[in-house]
Amino acid sequence: MLHEITLNVNGELHIVPVKSHHTLLTVLREQLGITSPKRGCENGECGACTVLYDGKPVNSCMVLAVEAEGHVIETVESLAKNGELHPLQKSFIEHNAVQCGFCTPGMLMSAKGLLAENPHPTEEEIKHALAGNLCRCTGYVRIIDAIKDVADHS
Amino acid sequence: MHPFDYYKPKDFDEAFAMLTQPGKKVIPLAGSTDIIPMVRDERWLPDAVVDIKGLPGLRDIKLVDSGPLCCAGQTAQCLYIGAAARMNEIAHSELVQQYASVLAQAAQEVGHEQVRNRATLGGNMGTASPAGDTLSALLVLEADVLVKGKDEERCIPALKFFLGPRKTALQPGEIILGVQVPPLPEGTLGRYLRISRRKGADLAIVGLSVMAIPAEGGYQWRIGLGAVAPTPIRVPEAETILATGHDEATVEKAIQATLAAARPIDDIRATAAYRREMVVQLTRRALQDIIAQIP
Ligand SMILES: Cc1cc2nc3c(=O)[nH]c(=O)nc-3n(C[C@H](O)[C@H](O)[C@H](O)COP(=O)(O)OP(=O)(O)OC[C@H]3O[C@@H](n4cnc5c(N)ncnc54)[C@H](O)[C@@H]3O)c2cc1C
Ligand code: FES
Ligand code: FES
Repeated sequence: MLHEITLNVNGELHIVPVKSHHTLLTVLREQLGITSPKRGCENGECGACTVLYDGKPVNSCMVLAVEAEGHVIETVESLAKNGELHPLQKSFIEHNAVQCGFCTPGMLMSAKGLLAENPHPTEEEIKHALAGNLCRCTGYVRIIDAIKDVADHS
Repeated sequence: MHPFDYYKPKDFDEAFAMLTQPGKKVIPLAGSTDIIPMVRDERWLPDAVVDIKGLPGLRDIKLVDSGPLCCAGQTAQCLYIGAAARMNEIAHSELVQQYASVLAQAAQEVGHEQVRNRATLGGNMGTASPAGDTLSALLVLEADVLVKGKDEERCIPALKFFLGPRKTALQPGEIILGVQVPPLPEGTLGRYLRISRRKGADLAIVGLSVMAIPAEGGYQWRIGLGAVAPTPIRVPEAETILATGHDEATVEKAIQATLAAARPIDDIRATAAYRREMVVQLTRRALQDIIAQIP
């Protein structure tokens, strides 16, 4: 079944035809060309596809695109403003919290969702918020430090 | 992924018309965290899904008066939790923390943040995995399950709702509207504990719900286990033992009775032997946690 829907992604409205069984991840990447959400496990387990859905982190591989109509979707593409990186992005660079970078968009969106709800999380709260985001490279310590730095200086 | 159609009904009449199309396999869809993986693995092959989470009342969490079906005969109000309430909404709800603490704790253990922002209570019950975290909590709370079909609503006690792995008392075309938790006396204590391979994205190896309810100068105990039998189970033998007291020797007897009730199997998550060992450890830990809170 094909649905003609309007998706609100990063503040822009996109009119797209989507198939009932296609996930938000598929439509973002393959129809809208928004490729920061990564296709990792497609099983809800790795968090590489994390986007904000009405401000809250969700796995875009676990959402049907058709039901995202009427909701506000944010990806990493929305973070930098007027050529200036978001504080979280700057902090990830300063802390060398990126190696291959595959997990990074998901990590950033999970971190953004956390700080919106809890601007000054403890280290435990940061770990808890990132429990659904796997990183095979960094060992997590630098990622947690990068987020903590932003939280401590905001 | 195997294709299916998607419908979003505007009211219950439309929902039931869609759910009962003759000759078609149509299932309700809530957070889709079970449906998407299951369809992708071709274990479930629906022709269509009906997105029920926008139907009136399905996301409410509120106190309700006793009704003709659920919560019948109660003098105090019951806690109503809509089937499409999300795990994070349940875990963070002050009402749930106050009136059904064990369920708030169980919801907090489901998956990780991204999953808890999508996964619903009704979906956890509809999937009816023996390892579903909220199920043993519903058993010890002795919650009522309010369900609705095309023609009528009915109330099924949670204790009679889960019939086997992926099998519930729902009739074809029926959906869960919500659960109602009967009022509990002040001073009721609850604890949910679980063991899993990865804290965040895996089902429980063993899940355990315990409640202690003040009664006639002592406590009445309820114990529920998940992932050690084809359905979540209560352990009346251990509950009876604890009703006589909670000194160390009695607690040990109750732990052995809980172990005796578990009938675990070997699977990819753990061996039966490991599960048995964890039943002992979790039961001891949960009972000690609760006893430490008894004034
Ligand atoms: C990464 C990951 C980790 C997970 N971790 C856990 C965990 O730790 N513990 C755990 O218990 N589960 C876990 N799950 C499984 C899943 O998230 C839960 O079972 C969840 O509660 C399902 O809810 P849903 O709203 O997403 O259900 P859906 O996928 O929408 O539906 C699930 C089933 O229930 C039916 N259904 C949904 N709503 C209703 C209703 N109102 N009436 C009747 N039937 C209905 C559907 O038809 C379907 O058969 C995990 C899943 C993933 C992907
Ligand atoms: S791709 Fe979505 S969680 Fe891994
Ligand atoms: S930087 Fe490579 S997976 Fe995290």
